[in-house]
Amino acid sequence: MSEAIAIQGIGIERRYGGFRALKGVDITVRRGEIRGLIGPNGAGKSTLIDVLSGRVRGQPGQVLIDGRDVSRLKPQERRRLGLARSFQRTNIFPMLSVEQQLRIASWAVAEAGVEEVMEELNLTALARMPAAEISYGDQRRLDLALALVGRPSVLLLDEPAAGLTVEESHGLATILRDLANRWNVTVLLVEHDMQVVFSICDGITVLHLGETLAEGNVAEIRADQRVVTAYLGTEA
Amino acid sequence: MTALSQGDVPAASSPLLKTRGLLAMALAALLLGVAAPRLVSSQLMLSLATQAIFDALLATSVGFLVLQNGRVSFGQAAFFGLGGYAFGVLVARGLMAAELAVLTALALPTLVAFLLGLVFARIAGVAHAMLTLAVGQAFYEIAFRWRELAKGDDGMAFNLPPRIFGFDSSLLQDPSVMVVVAWTILVLALLGLALFANSRMGQIAAAVRDNAERARFIGHDTTIPPAIVYAISALLAAIAGLLQATYNGYIAPQMFHWSLSGSALIMAVVGGAQFILGPAIGAVCFFILKDFAGRFAEYWPAIVGSVLVIVTLVMPQGIVGLLKAGWFRMRRQA
Amino acid sequence: MAIQLLNGIVYGGLLYLLAVGLVLIFGLREVVNFAHGALFMLGSYIGFTLAAAGHWWLGLLVSVVAMAAVGCLLDVLVFRSLRKHDHIVTVLITFGLLLILETVVTVTWGKAYLSYPVPKLLDGTVTIAGSPFPIYRLFIIVVSLLVAGGLAAWLRYTRMGLYVRAASTNAHVTSIQGIDVDRLSLVVVGLGTALAGLSGVVAGPLLTLSPTMGNYILIDSFIVVVIGGLGSFAGAFFAALLIGQIHNLGAIYLPWAATMLPFLLMIGILIWRPTGFAGSRT
Repeated sequence: MSEAIAIQGIGIERRYGGFRALKGVDITVRRGEIRGLIGPNGAGKSTLIDVLSGRVRGQPGQVLIDGRDVSRLKPQERRRLGLARSFQRTNIFPMLSVEQQLRIASWAVAEAGVEEVMEELNLTALARMPAAEISYGDQRRLDLALALVGRPSVLLLDEPAAGLTVEESHGLATILRDLANRWNVTVLLVEHDMQVVFSICDGITVLHLGETLAEGNVAEIRADQRVVTAYLGTEA
Repeated sequence: MTALSQGDVPAASSPLLKTRGLLAMALAALLLGVAAPRLVSSQLMLSLATQAIFDALLATSVGFLVLQNGRVSFGQAAFFGLGGYAFGVLVARGLMAAELAVLTALALPTLVAFLLGLVFARIAGVAHAMLTLAVGQAFYEIAFRWRELAKGDDGMAFNLPPRIFGFDSSLLQDPSVMVVVAWTILVLALLGLALFANSRMGQIAAAVRDNAERARFIGHDTTIPPAIVYAISALLAAIAGLLQATYNGYIAPQMFHWSLSGSALIMAVVGGAQFILGPAIGAVCFFILKDFAGRFAEYWPAIVGSVLVIVTLVMPQGIVGLLKAGWFRMRRQA
Repeated sequence: MAIQLLNGIVYGGLLYLLAVGLVLIFGLREVVNFAHGALFMLGSYIGFTLAAAGHWWLGLLVSVVAMAAVGCLLDVLVFRSLRKHDHIVTVLITFGLLLILETVVTVTWGKAYLSYPVPKLLDGTVTIAGSPFPIYRLFIIVVSLLVAGGLAAWLRYTRMGLYVRAASTNAHVTSIQGIDVDRLSLVVVGLGTALAGLSGVVAGPLLTLSPTMGNYILIDSFIVVVIGGLGSFAGAFFAALLIGQIHNLGAIYLPWAATMLPFLLMIGILIWRPTGFAGSRT
């Protein structure tokens, strides 16, 4: 693992009406790292992913990819710079076939890599199927595949295992760990399944009420009394 | 995403093979068109067929917007009228050579639609229907009230210059010639749309139609591709308007009217707006139906309305969808 | 000038009667009824037939009741059975109904322009600011104000009105909370179309009757509904008054602007807030 910073958020704030979803969060993910982003519901995890990926603007807040300020860039421009994301609620192209939508995704970034992504995520057999007609678990992997086309340098994942069975989510975690290593993808992972988080993450950031509560490696976070109180509970 | 555009995914067979098949079909259709005036002797029939082809072009233009952008327009006649009016007014006033007038009559609506499309593409569903209806009627109001432009609601007859693009222009008002010209243009237009739908721009537009947000997050711009679809769709409508104005030597505000937009939309839906060929087939079906219903001309709008209601309820994929389903069933049994 | 302002209020009042019906229907079914203008027209013809036979007020009553019945049928047969479909499918069907109703009227009453009589009770003029003003036009203003007031009271003070407001804000929440949306919608759609019948009759003596008389006013009321913020009752009221004034004053002082301004306003608002009303609902 090198020490270069892949993605960095500085002083990110975000309000929705009177509600302050993020109250000045700083986050730094190093190149090649898999960083877990955890915290109770309403902590601001999805909002942080939204600001980093450009779905919404920080008010204020700065986002840097490989040291370059992308705060004013649109989502599509950030994607072309190597910042990809997936969604908590499956967000695919229902009427296009699996292969077609991955192909279309590849045009924006790499022109190739569709076959390797389908292969890695077990979608090859479904290539011709319209996305609306494949199973939920397959759709979740398609959502991830859309983000992985072209081997992005940074991947923001918003609960990729949401709604999956235990076996499915552990299978997904294995694929993720493996791909992140081989393709050198930096990952920021929002996930509620702590087994997944603890098994694949190098470091963890804990958000609570729109602020960073703690940061550290898995062991440190599991031992942190504030985190246990605010989120993990005693059994974790 | 509208229910109207839930088409089957085009089978991703070899694009070259597909293109070749398309070209062969187009060639056969063109030959058929050239032969038609020799096979049909009735001038009236040819004249009706000509009108049906104009309708088919306009219906195709509306349907293409549904297919590619998932947007239902109640104002496509705006571009039909704009094409016809631009040509008629320019030629009647002798402002420019007829050839240049043709180009202007096609370029102006295309450009207007592109600019409108940059904004309209963001508006979906029922709001889009109301918006396009209002824009179309705004054009109608202008044509209706601006008497100095083209005699307002009386409409304006105009004479074609003797030659257009080197051809005797009076031929363009002869049904046995116009039917071939219009048919050829229709076939080429359908071929062009099929090629566009398979092109990168067309597929990206389809992705934006399906899920504009995700299209942004896989790295695509989501403003330009739908606007290009609006422009292409308007170009088709303008071609239809230009042809009709040339053929009749007459323009009138009815060319902008929402009832025209509406009937084109109905033809598209009845034919099957989720298929490139659907709207044109819908137009042909209405042409045949109208011939049968000749004695009940009084009831024609009600017939159209009833067909629309029945088709949307019973076969939401339209005639082509029904044929396709039937074809697959037959093949499965064979 | 006062007379011109009043004339603007008259047209605005008619627009309000039509537009508020659209708002009611949209609130519950999230569908814009393209057949609304045709119901206005049909109501006008039904009223006309009785009025021509000397029963003006009976014509009003019958037309309102008949259109309410048509609305209930429309709700049950079309809106309810298609509620799971994309709303644009329903819109298309209402467009088909518009064509059917126009034909029914053409075949029954013919295409010729007909003129609707003014009831004896309301014949004549009064003098306002030194100019004569037809009593009948005052009647239209009174009717639309009564409807506006009655509707506002109904929405504000009755349980059903509360449900309607809740459903207009969020249909999903209300159905979860155990309100029978279908029953509510039957009443509300019936009320909306009854208002179309009412405005058809009331507008009759002001306009000439023809099978296409509903089209022009339908587009104006679409504009009202959009400018008022689709789904807003108060918005529709003020937008109707605004468009009424633009329509009337503009026609005298700035005919070009009067024609185009409402369209431009509508387009501007849709562009300004593309998801303001429809996007969040579809």
